[in-house]
Amino acid sequence: MTSWPDFLGIPLWFWVFVLPSIATVLARFFRAKAKQILQPVWRLLDRLYTASGVVASIFMVLILLIIIFQMMARWSGVTFEGSTEFAGYAMAATSFFALAHALGHGAHIRVSILLNLNQFTRLWLNAFAMFIAAITATYFARYAIKTNFLSEMLNDRTQGQDQIPDWLLSVFEMTVTAPWHWGQIWANTSDAWVYTPVWVPQLPMSIGTTLLAIALWDHLVRLLVNGESDIKAETVQ
Amino acid sequence: MTEFYATVIFLFVLFALLGSSVWIGLALVGVAYVGMELFTARPAGDAMITTIWTGASSWTLTALPLFIWMGEILYRTRLSEDMFRGLSPWMRWLPGGLLHTNIAGCTIFAAVSGSSAATLTTVGKMSIPELRERGYPEYMIIGTLAGAATLGLMIPPSLTLIVYGVSINESITKLFLAGVIPGLVLAGLFMAYIVAWYYIKKDQRPKPEPAMSLGQMIKESRFLIPVMILVFIVIGSMYFGWATATEAAAVGVIGALSLAFAQRSLNFKTFTASLMGATRTSAMIALILMGASFLSLSMGFTGLPRALAGWIDSLDLSPVVLIAALTVFYIILGMFLDGISSVVLTMAIVEPMIRQAGIDVIWFGVFVVVVVEMAQVTPPIGFNLFVLQGMTKHEISYISRTAIPMVGLMILMVAILVIWPELATWLPENVRNTPNG
Repeated sequence: MTSWPDFLGIPLWFWVFVLPSIATVLARFFRAKAKQILQPVWRLLDRLYTASGVVASIFMVLILLIIIFQMMARWSGVTFEGSTEFAGYAMAATSFFALAHALGHGAHIRVSILLNLNQFTRLWLNAFAMFIAAITATYFARYAIKTNFLSEMLNDRTQGQDQIPDWLLSVFEMTVTAPWHWGQIWANTSDAWVYTPVWVPQLPMSIGTTLLAIALWDHLVRLLVNGESDIKAETVQ
Repeated sequence: MTEFYATVIFLFVLFALLGSSVWIGLALVGVAYVGMELFTARPAGDAMITTIWTGASSWTLTALPLFIWMGEILYRTRLSEDMFRGLSPWMRWLPGGLLHTNIAGCTIFAAVSGSSAATLTTVGKMSIPELRERGYPEYMIIGTLAGAATLGLMIPPSLTLIVYGVSINESITKLFLAGVIPGLVLAGLFMAYIVAWYYIKKDQRPKPEPAMSLGQMIKESRFLIPVMILVFIVIGSMYFGWATATEAAAVGVIGALSLAFAQRSLNFKTFTASLMGATRTSAMIALILMGASFLSLSMGFTGLPRALAGWIDSLDLSPVVLIAALTVFYIILGMFLDGISSVVLTMAIVEPMIRQAGIDVIWFGVFVVVVVEMAQVTPPIGFNLFVLQGMTKHEISYISRTAIPMVGLMILMVAILVIWPELATWLPENVRNTPNG
């Protein structure tokens, strides 16, 4: 699989790097118009980030539950196969799903000495930093998705002892295949438990990094259109 | 020679990205990418995801969000009022009086929380107004609080030690236990400083507290019982080998929730607020760790760590000189970066160096925590300074001046650690075997 295949006859890197950059520059030049068009989009995206933060927090609770079940299993002499792997998957899910949400709440840290120098740096250095961050996050997301697809294609299985029921796997498979293949998926589903295919726990990585990339482009556009960043740090913890 | 230029470019990109305020985690990813492109023909992107996925889904890391969550829950309870009420009857007799509640409060809260900012806010929101009311000098209130709050990073659970342990693949339980005694010694140094102030600056003493009967004192101390039980559960379960660090964290979360419930400060709003806050903080640290894991892969290809370790080895420095040099290095780094970022950023380079020099990595973890703690209270970027600024409305420059003696005490602490390394190594060596690290 090449890293940057053509999409609609144009290399993928154009779509993910160049196109958002052009859109960002255009938004700066037509600020009033951009603001008018984008305001409903911003509201929608804010909800999306919050929703993904909520999903992340559910996985956080899941980590707690898995570890408590693991302890109870150990005390009562029952084996809980693959509990460490499941806790690890939940850890990855909570981290990745919360990335974009944390960004909007100013939770991610940065060295802000030069940033707070004056009004000029507060706009333009910030824009530069967000642009670099957006490019990096897009690159990150692109390879996360690629790896995720590769894991599915190669049918990569876990190294640990963790198993999931086949029907659960089929539910996940439904989300990534076209509806007309669903019948076939369920026809092939057994009652057995199977070793976890790596692509399932990797889904949060693809989704979370993609959301982070979107959020960074989004905040960059908001900064350039509104003239000030809408990332407000809350009281630190 | 091209190797040399490549290294210069690599370091330049690192400083440029960090300096231009790119979020630290993403800046590390960017630098690591540049390093991969410069030094190896391996496809950067695929190697990046493999490394990051392995790191991000690791079992050891799960202690991190749980300890953060525990701190968030406790921060939202009435724990700070209770601690002040329970501690003050005992502290009023000491020379220096209620100023000691700053130190004792931070020490106790540090034992249930892994962050120094959380320790600072929890203790400070109660002690600052109370101490001001009683007429203690402002610079002592703020200085001792700023210093003592850094104990949050040293006394287990400690987020910095978790991050250090994950970076170098060492047992987090051992690192936690290593931090206990040095943390208490440092707390002792802070208390000694208050006692010294009491005898030297006699004119600054506030009015003595009214007398209190012993029965009254014991009655007031009941407020300390819940938090002491929590401390025992978290540290005790690790010490006696009943639980791993992660399990201790899970029990701690349940304990904190029960405490909040018993105090009637647990409702849907505080529960979700603590959960979402913890999720964000945990994601912040996770992003830095992701960047750091890719960076250390990339660093490996640059040959920088090996070259540096070899160079240090050829200098034939004594470990003491090496530690002194690293102390200065970390203090400078800490002026610009927070503790966790300094640790993850340097570990790829420093780890081979200290292993080569034969320095115990568990001991080094405690050392690193003390030096990055100093960074929390030194300008221009000191996290605790910002938190205190928000709480007291003083200028950063004023707050950092009040904290200077505390930085001095921490440097003294480094010296003590070098002279008596057993302070850090004794407890982990004598611990019962843990279930699985």
